[in-house]
Amino acid sequence: MTKKSDGANEDQVKEPKRNIVPSKSQKEAKEMKSSKEEEDLLLDSGTDSDYDGDSLSGSLNSDDFDSDIFDSEDDDDSHRETQDDEGSDEVVDSENGEEEDGSDDEGSEQREVAEESDSSEDEVTPRNTVGDVPLEWYKDEKHIGYDITGKKITKKEKQDKLDSFLATMDDSKNWRKVYDEYNDEEVELTKEESKLIRRMLKGEAPHADFDPYAPYVDWFKWDDAIHPLSSAPEPKRRFIPSKWEAKKVVKLVRAIRKGLIKFDKPEEEPNVYLLWGDDSASDQKSKHLTYIPPPKLKLPGHEESYNPSLEYIPSEEEKASYELMYEEDRPKFIPKRFTSLRSIPAYENALKESFDRCLDLYLCPRVRKKRINIDPESLKPKLPSRKDLRPYPNSCYLEYKGHTGPVTSISTELSGQWIASGSTDGSVRIWEVETGRCLKVWQFDEAVKCVAWNPLPDFPILAVAMGVDLFFLNTELGTDEEQQRIEELLRLDNLPELDEAGKRLTAAIAKWLPDEKYRGIKIRHFKNLSYIDWHPRGDYLSAVMPGGETRGVVIHQLSAHSTKMLPIKMRGLPVCTLFHPNHRGIFIIATKKYVRVYNLHKNGEPIKKLETGLREISSMAIHPGGDNLVVGSKEGKMCWFDMDLSSKPYKILKNHPKDITNVGFHRSYPLFASCSEDSTAYVFHGKVYSDLNENPLIVPLEILRGHSSKGGVLDCKFHPRQPWLFTAGGDSVIKLYCH
Amino acid sequence: SQALKSLQVNLNLFRRLCIVKGIFPREPKKKVKGNHHTYYHVKDISFLQHEPLLEKFREIKTYQKKVQKAKAKKNEELARLLLTRQPTYKLDRLIRERYPTFIDALRDLDDCLTMVHLFAVLPASDRENLEVKRVHNCRRLSHEWQAYISRTHALRKVFVSVKGIYYQAELEGQKITWLTPHAIQQVFTTDVDFGVLLTFLEFYETLLAFTNFKLYHSLNVKYPPILDSRLEALAADLYALSRYIDASSRGMTVEAKADASSSSQSNDRAESELRLAQLQHQLPSSEPGALMHLVADKEVEEDEETRACKSLFKDLKFFLSREVPRESLLFVLPAFGGTVSWEGEGAPFKEDDESITHHIIDKPSAGHMYLSREYVQPQWIYDCVNARIILPTEKYLVGRIPPPHLSPFVDNEAEGYVPDYAETIKRLQAAARNDVLPLPGVGKEDLEDPQNLLYAGVMSRAEEAEAAKTKKKMAELEKQYHEELKKEVTGSAVDDVAAAPVVEGGDGEESSVPDAAQIAQDTADMPTLMMSRKKRKLYDAMKIGQKKKSESVERIKQRKKNLKADQ
Repeated sequence: MTKKSDGANEDQVKEPKRNIVPSKSQKEAKEMKSSKEEEDLLLDSGTDSDYDGDSLSGSLNSDDFDSDIFDSEDDDDSHRETQDDEGSDEVVDSENGEEEDGSDDEGSEQREVAEESDSSEDEVTPRNTVGDVPLEWYKDEKHIGYDITGKKITKKEKQDKLDSFLATMDDSKNWRKVYDEYNDEEVELTKEESKLIRRMLKGEAPHADFDPYAPYVDWFKWDDAIHPLSSAPEPKRRFIPSKWEAKKVVKLVRAIRKGLIKFDKPEEEPNVYLLWGDDSASDQKSKHLTYIPPPKLKLPGHEESYNPSLEYIPSEEEKASYELMYEEDRPKFIPKRFTSLRSIPAYENALKESFDRCLDLYLCPRVRKKRINIDPESLKPKLPSRKDLRPYPNSCYLEYKGHTGPVTSISTELSGQWIASGSTDGSVRIWEVETGRCLKVWQFDEAVKCVAWNPLPDFPILAVAMGVDLFFLNTELGTDEEQQRIEELLRLDNLPELDEAGKRLTAAIAKWLPDEKYRGIKIRHFKNLSYIDWHPRGDYLSAVMPGGETRGVVIHQLSAHSTKMLPIKMRGLPVCTLFHPNHRGIFIIATKKYVRVYNLHKNGEPIKKLETGLREISSMAIHPGGDNLVVGSKEGKMCWFDMDLSSKPYKILKNHPKDITNVGFHRSYPLFASCSEDSTAYVFHGKVYSDLNENPLIVPLEILRGHSSKGGVLDCKFHPRQPWLFTAGGDSVIKLYCH
Repeated sequence: SQALKSLQVNLNLFRRLCIVKGIFPREPKKKVKGNHHTYYHVKDISFLQHEPLLEKFREIKTYQKKVQKAKAKKNEELARLLLTRQPTYKLDRLIRERYPTFIDALRDLDDCLTMVHLFAVLPASDRENLEVKRVHNCRRLSHEWQAYISRTHALRKVFVSVKGIYYQAELEGQKITWLTPHAIQQVFTTDVDFGVLLTFLEFYETLLAFTNFKLYHSLNVKYPPILDSRLEALAADLYALSRYIDASSRGMTVEAKADASSSSQSNDRAESELRLAQLQHQLPSSEPGALMHLVADKEVEEDEETRACKSLFKDLKFFLSREVPRESLLFVLPAFGGTVSWEGEGAPFKEDDESITHHIIDKPSAGHMYLSREYVQPQWIYDCVNARIILPTEKYLVGRIPPPHLSPFVDNEAEGYVPDYAETIKRLQAAARNDVLPLPGVGKEDLEDPQNLLYAGVMSRAEEAEAAKTKKKMAELEKQYHEELKKEVTGSAVDDVAAAPVVEGGDGEESSVPDAAQIAQDTADMPTLMMSRKKRKLYDAMKIGQKKKSESVERIKQRKKNLKADQ
């Protein structure tokens, strides 16, 4: 395809060219083709600096053809001559190429070939006969195709890239060299050809002599024509103004008049102006809802600095520990340190944080919150000084040791000289308060649940509850006369006569038996006892059996040796009971959630129901005045009821973290105490005023610690005369706290 | 969704309206539908319903449909025509509505400034629908704002953090804090909804533009400032080379403008014929303005702080090296009265100017050093600004690791922990104060040696602390003594009474002795028993908060101790 002047190439092609003489029509067709190729070339040339062989040949061919047209077909000698002259140096080059190939042609012959190639393009050069096939097929072969005789054309050796580059750099004519992939050779363009290409790149006709604007020669002669081309007369519409145009114009005119069409562009209003002219007008009230300005972002602290003090930077372990934390606990920002300003990188979360802020701004409900900025200490109520409320028990004074199991219950004698204690090891002991001497020991088989002194000073009888049994024991403390009376009382020969039904009923619940061993009375109940309480007159004693359901509370009369059922319908499990200290017939029963007050004289008429709001009541104590009640619960709360005031607690104190086991009032001092399984006992000042308008004053006074933490404090009782407190611990010790 | 139904809009549009109108959900007293719903006030929604913008949005939507239709019918010309006449909307009315007074606008300017500054450094991106025009607008607005602040010396605090640089300015009694990111290419994160951000940005741009207008108006400067064409052109040329230069020189031109138009007209005239023509337009407005400004200046400078800020870097000349954050420093230094130049085109004076006092450099070592100036790191500037005194430069010299940069926003005493450097700064400040304003009561010799005075102060403080300590100790001793006495008494009582061998009364001692702390604790806790539940909860919460705070302080102290131990 290349017409070009590589000697070897032309040698091969000479023969076929001579044989085939193309007709003119063929030639024309080829011209069309070549011009198309030309266009391709134009497109390519913009980007590539070296042209590939195909397009190159196309351009050259077209050039040749042009010359054919404008010169006479046969004698293109002159043109040929000039071309040769110009390309004389090329000829030399081509000869070199010839020598390389080892062919034996001469320069003159070659010139002839060039001439021939002018007239016929396609057949001219290609020594490769593979045809228009993709060259990749030969990529791995040693040859590139076959020549006309069917011999393989071997590929030239590929030059080293570096070498070839160097070669190209050395060669000043390098820019004219083009590699023909198809024939595997380098082609050098003549000056003429490069000029042609340049002209085509400019979009001009390739040949310099071609004049695209030559005067038009009208070959058709109009002058002597007899017949016009059309004989129809000119239509009228060519002479009158168009109706439709007029209509259109009218339409436009109207549109302009109406202002639908504007010629001048709308004036740009200044998009910023003085919006807040004077602020005086602004004090008008906004009609809208109150606007809550968004909270400002938190200002950065020292740790956010690019160069914080060293102590703000967490150590590696701390950083590792952050990884283990939950997502929400993890600190949002880990301080980093950069030693100079230039080394700070871009903050990767900048957009994210900005976005979060935006979300907060438009998606979070805003509420005005009052923030109190006060010292938390000021929240504490001011309490009267504890010094003014003395005396109260505050330090451990004595310990009574001797029990081997947890001491479940203690009781003080009215004179204040003796205390009795019962323990789970089955022993009941009587101690002298001031010396701590153990006066008497009874040993039972079962764990003692509850002990209680008779509140009458001249009847030193001890009631002890354990299991299903209730014992009345003679403590042998009084004078001889008293002793005689007690023995009289505890002798069970004169059991009262009951009618049959009553007997059966009471017998089913409790049986009075003489106790030979301790010379007392034993009452056997049908269920386990949990709590006993003496009437202040000392004749009656109430016993609580949680398992007894509706018959869970019975009252024994010691003087009559009889047992009475309560004329009360029990609701819920009874926990503890109390006799009112002043009104004889009033009886208080605490069930798990409520405290109910009954009047026994009026046949068990309910008087009051106190709503404690506690989950489970464990104990209760009444103020000696009789109007105030303290209830302890198993959730560690203590309620103070003013029974005249309301059925709701006057005060709820949450003082213990664990169950409250017992509460107690002092008989004469304004003191009350609570003890709990957390092995502490609290002492409070609880003053009740005689003036009904004044609320009781409750002041916490002291936390008594000292019992070992394993068993807690199971019972607490005040000394009847002194402001002293006895506590019975799970560590089998009884302690006396004095002021 | 009820709101959407009643407004007949889709969620996107609703969100947009909410953002633009500044409507936020409310916390109702009773949550009728449960906790997991957002509740808008009915009034707010009806407020939206009567918003003309809603109508406008609808109009735009229908118009968009028209365009689409034209495109679908291949009616390119019509589509093009339609596109040129798109309806637009304006937000100025909304701004007036949301911020009836200028103060209101200033109060809420924090987020606005932060956002605009952030977008000023973002790369424009097709994917996120962020146009170059908007980024440029943001940059222009932020520079205008900075120029104003720096001109009026309203800047108060600067803090370089990892996130960026925080600035705090005080305008009309409002403290405005904003964050500018570091001038480094920002990255887009994927988990961000750009629609929302752009809507916010749209509003903020308008807000800031109006605010700037008002501010410039108060200075009697024509608002959309006509920039120096030469510098601008220069910037445009350089734009391809570097973004930073563009940005900073632009900022500079604005400043130059503000300065020039208000004070030195003659200087401007000398500059060039071309600019004169431009200025002519401006002259009538700014000539009386210059006078006014002088008056205003005097009024404004009543403010003690402004004066202090203005004179901080007075008579100092700074030169910025190539690698320092120029934009920030060009803003900060003039705001505190300094004169600045930088390395690069358009700089007011060259590096070899003899009168330069400080050369700001952020390299490990400086090449050629002039003896007449000090070479300091940029942190020095920020620390000086925050401390309001010229700090000694030796710690900030080139190549050293500067002392820690502390946040000016923290109240150290309230925090419970004072970093060392804060204390040294405080001492320096006290010294400087003594230097500057001699108190009538203070003797001459004290003035001469403020350091001495300072030491005396420190000493006295130390003594006080010592005294307090000894007092405490004494009290403790006394207490102990009393306790012993008491013990003795009780012990004797026990001895007296407990004759019986069964009882060991001696244990009373044992139980009372270890309880000293316990008792104190108990007595402290006693009143909490009597508090109501509400108060107790509040108390507990406060206690927890305090504990957390003290814990963090403890941690820091522990770290410090460890560090010291390591050294």
